Amino acid sequence: MNRSSSDHHPKNKWEEDVKKTSQRFPERKETFHTSSDIPIDRLYTPDNMDEDYIEEIGFPGQYPYTRGIQPTMYRSRYWTMRQYAGFGSAEETNRRFRYLLKQGQTGLSVAFDLPTQIGYDSDDPMADGEVGKVGVAIDSLKDMEQLFDQIPLDQVSTSMTINAPASILLAMYIAVGEKQGVAPEKLTGTIQNDILKEYIARGTYIYPPKPSMRLITDIFGYCQENLPKFNTISISGYHIREAGSTAVQEVAFTIANGMAYVDAAIEAGLEVDQFAPRLAFFFNAHNEFFEEAAKFRAARRMWAKIMKEHYGAENPKSWKLRFHTQTGGSTLTAQQPDNNIVRVTLQALSAVMGGTQSLHTNSRDEALALPTEDSARIALRTQQIIANESGVADTIDPLAGSYYVESLTDQIEKEANAYIDRIKEFGGAVQAVEEGYMQREIHKAAYEAQKRIESKEDIVVGMNEFKLEEEIHADLLRVDEALEQAQIEKTQQVRNTRDQQAVDQCLSELREAARKSDNVMPHIVSAVKVYATVGEIANVLREEFGEYTGM
Amino acid sequence: MKPIRVLIAKPGLDGHDRGALIIAQALRDHGMEVIYTGLRQSAIQIARAAIQEDVDVIGLSSLSGAHKSLFPKVVEALKEQGASDIPVIGGGVIPAEDIPFLEEKGVDKIFTSGSPTDAIAVYIKQLIHKETIEAPSKIAHIGIAVESIDATLPFYQHTLGLELQAVEKVESEQVRVAFLKIGGTMFELLEPLSEDSPIQSFLMKKGEGVHHIALEVDDIHKRLNQYRDQGIRLIHEQPKTGAHNSQIAFLHPKAANGVLFELCQHGEEE
Repeated sequence: MNRSSSDHHPKNKWEEDVKKTSQRFPERKETFHTSSDIPIDRLYTPDNMDEDYIEEIGFPGQYPYTRGIQPTMYRSRYWTMRQYAGFGSAEETNRRFRYLLKQGQTGLSVAFDLPTQIGYDSDDPMADGEVGKVGVAIDSLKDMEQLFDQIPLDQVSTSMTINAPASILLAMYIAVGEKQGVAPEKLTGTIQNDILKEYIARGTYIYPPKPSMRLITDIFGYCQENLPKFNTISISGYHIREAGSTAVQEVAFTIANGMAYVDAAIEAGLEVDQFAPRLAFFFNAHNEFFEEAAKFRAARRMWAKIMKEHYGAENPKSWKLRFHTQTGGSTLTAQQPDNNIVRVTLQALSAVMGGTQSLHTNSRDEALALPTEDSARIALRTQQIIANESGVADTIDPLAGSYYVESLTDQIEKEANAYIDRIKEFGGAVQAVEEGYMQREIHKAAYEAQKRIESKEDIVVGMNEFKLEEEIHADLLRVDEALEQAQIEKTQQVRNTRDQQAVDQCLSELREAARKSDNVMPHIVSAVKVYATVGEIANVLREEFGEYTGM
Repeated sequence: MKPIRVLIAKPGLDGHDRGALIIAQALRDHGMEVIYTGLRQSAIQIARAAIQEDVDVIGLSSLSGAHKSLFPKVVEALKEQGASDIPVIGGGVIPAEDIPFLEEKGVDKIFTSGSPTDAIAVYIKQLIHKETIEAPSKIAHIGIAVESIDATLPFYQHTLGLELQAVEKVESEQVRVAFLKIGGTMFELLEPLSEDSPIQSFLMKKGEGVHHIALEVDDIHKRLNQYRDQGIRLIHEQPKTGAHNSQIAFLHPKAANGVLFELCQHGEEE
């Protein structure tokens, strides 16, 4: 490319893209000004844009996307404010969803309870004590219908934190859409569907790695044909960080996992440019403000280079790392919980500085219990204040060009790449996980962090310094203990009234497909439609695939 | 001594084991032998593992909110297996209001979020080695800060009729002290020798009056370590020489709601 020709200069390309994007998504204001009436430009760049700048930093919406994936970023639209919610019964969660939508939230994010996440019905002995505790209990399509009651699925996008049984819950979402008259191709949203980080850090696995990877590529294949607007996976660093990793490890292990999914899909016969545009990411926003902002920028650049140079993807959509961010739950303290609002604000700001596509801000009381409605509202307001009052969204990537931030961005990329090289030596992320490599690295970092806190080398305000003598926690959200029994009865009622023959038929077809390595997705969709339960479907696959028992 | 054996267990479906792993490692660093069960253990599995591994204590971790149902089930399962002598402690995301319920159900101790790992290790050692804290044997003396011993003595000697035992200087604290015997204990009058004396700053801030209470102890070194392990703030990490050739150390008044306590160990000659 001849950079001296102004036609081809990336800046001109960017300006053309801005024009195109602005037609679809006009900027929020005709002009942007500070309080002193100083005009705010869309983008600030160095006077002298050398080769290095163009290649490593460049322009928003342009490879390698260091400055963001859209040409106008938040000048057109703010990030999606998407609060993770769910507890108790489907009806209760439905009420919280509708409350959050009424409060100005722009997307839904479903938290499922642990039995659902591990493929047990509420009446399974393994579910004892856990029903409805950390999220909503979903056993059959009946529950899912209630969960989205009066919420038009063609108008909201829904993110579902579901991994091992992702195909089952996605099938239920498709079925609810159909009942509402919304065709699958119109559905938008994300399933987490990232099993590797479950083995590494989060623990809600069911099957061994190999069949789990196959379920994932089955979903990729099915969605490519039927749900073109749905994000088929959200490759998650969030939980890796929560388990105690460093920022560099978070980026490195997440991208290594991402590469494992790309490899698996290619091996399953899919074309990289057909599925890669639907891959999404999910990161943590932790305490160290500049490092976090730099981390997001570095991750974007790394993924773009890997997709273009390593996998030879040609569609720019395959190069773009789109990500959701959640503020770091493990940074919150049970002591003086109102201080958590301030922590969350700083973390959320780092995500916005890093160019996130959507954001969940944690509630102040999450180190103690699930958030109350009041706490959940303050968390949402925190984002709304950052967006509407602080002015940080009025120019694109405002930290670019800071000597410190650019240097951190480079350094994180370099150190994360060193980890990725190490993982390649194991034969890729699946092998590294099986050998416990990432788990060990994370544990080491977590233990060192704990030691630093106990020696007061690291100060945690209100916990190891600036303490208060006595604290009373009013108003914590409690999940009604009677809920478990009610949910069990509801599911048994569903079993008694459904067409059992149709259920048996669907489950046996599913078993057949699982054995023959046909795509299981269509069979799971048929099974949920006749009210086969999460546990019943997961159990068929357990029998065929076996269970993972940890290491 | 045989090392303490600990079973760290994750009951229920919760997959968050960062805390469990950190505790396991910290207890190993304290010389204990730790067995970690891994995720998704039923109460009965945990009880059987505890018996098979012949552990001295079980530590349960849950962050999913299911502790009220799961922890008592482990206690029950131990009872059914005839192993109710194995103590059970727990931690995780556990609201303080739930602690009395869990204790009533037979959980020995709950450590809430933010508990230092050292405190957990110390608790286990005390629990297992029955290393209970021995109470100090008596009040060694009550210290009273005065501007001038000579001006104060007539009240104690003549009005109260107490016997003056000794007057001496303690250079390390820059004080002159007078001891007056009363029953099995004493009053200690403290007069500053210089502007640098802690007694001088006490007098400036609060005026004359009761300054501290000294407790008679044995093995002052061990006791200071025990207190420090419990997170008690100490003014003196190491004992120093006090009056009468005693070994003394002060605890920080913040540790005792504003009362200044002195630990005092008398030498052989007493």
